[in-house]
Amino acid sequence: MSNHTHELTKGIFEDNPTFTLMLGLCPTLGVTTMVSNAIGMGFSVLFVLTCSNIMISLLRNVIPDSVRIPSYIVIIASFVTIIEMVLHAFMPALYASLGVYLPLIVVNCIILGRAEAFANKNTVFDSLLDGIGMGIGFTISLTVIAFIREVLGAGQITLFPMGSWNGIITIPGIHTWPVRVMTLAPGALLLMGFLKAAYDVLVANKAKKAKKAKTEATA
Amino acid sequence: MTKTYLKTSFILALICACAAFILAELNGVTAPKIAAYEAQKTLSALEAVSNGQNIGDEEFVTDNGIVSAYYPLTTEGKTTGYLLKMGKSGYGGMVNLVASFDLNGLVTAAKVVSDSETPGLGKKSEEDWYMTKFIGTDPIPTKKSELSADDAAAISGASITFGAVSAALDAGSQFVKTKGAK
Repeated sequence: MSNHTHELTKGIFEDNPTFTLMLGLCPTLGVTTMVSNAIGMGFSVLFVLTCSNIMISLLRNVIPDSVRIPSYIVIIASFVTIIEMVLHAFMPALYASLGVYLPLIVVNCIILGRAEAFANKNTVFDSLLDGIGMGIGFTISLTVIAFIREVLGAGQITLFPMGSWNGIITIPGIHTWPVRVMTLAPGALLLMGFLKAAYDVLVANKAKKAKKAKTEATA
Repeated sequence: MTKTYLKTSFILALICACAAFILAELNGVTAPKIAAYEAQKTLSALEAVSNGQNIGDEEFVTDNGIVSAYYPLTTEGKTTGYLLKMGKSGYGGMVNLVASFDLNGLVTAAKVVSDSETPGLGKKSEEDWYMTKFIGTDPIPTKKSELSADDAAAISGASITFGAVSAALDAGSQFVKTKGAK
């Protein structure tokens, strides 16, 4: 795998921000009551993360070390304000659904974490790939969690309305008798625990296979 | 040393200035659309709580900390109640709502227009069922202990939002009662 491909794909599985780095858990638990919210939040983070990574990487030799954190915060807050204004003007329903979690992207650990750990040490292109990869990884994690929570907790899947379709897929049976706890905070924590355990099993199996292949190749 | 401080300050100031410029330019594009959307949202909310009555001209209220404006509601030329715009601080910021009252100060319909409450908790105040506990009640319940068991359970985890909504409606009711006395 080339270095660039690795930068792009590491955030999706290997260094997934939600299940490996365990970053950004507040919005992860907060907005995953509906699939549409998770997709909206995921893409908002993807946009802010990619743009701030590019900008911070561009300015990494200009920004003095003593004011790097305030500078990063200004850059990140600007991109968050941009996405907030655009969503408020053009997608008001999604803007209303995301509520306080949208401005809170400013203090999302993934964004500042990647700025500090990656973008200020690497090239613009690598930072762009890192931002996209981490953003996609975060979006996938949020969507998976929201899908399970909404299906079990409300018996439906909320997507985006299109024309006369209201964007809601109702699942017969579960919709009448949903597991309400899944839409509440305890359900989110419970599911997060199960998914983390499943993720760790997958990672362990993958490592085991890689080790076996290496041993066979050596032999 | 002074030179380093000046350079550092200049760079930080420059980043802030660039960010402010870009945001101001974008605000010029999005602000009219946001204003139009908010105006449409308020108009829809006013119509939703007017119960089919005619909505009169807006009158601004400057001496009330919660009620910001009112509209007389008329049926066949006769004043039958008032529609009020109110705002009270909630958990995540201002909770702005509109509500119609009859001449006795009883709530006939109410709707939250904008808020920054927590999704899944305080945001429930935007749903239609939330306001049923206030409609036609005198006095308006302002404490959890004044609600039925079901209603108390429904606002569980969002007591501050409930406090904001109930205080706003209570202030609105008092305002209408004062107007009725005049």
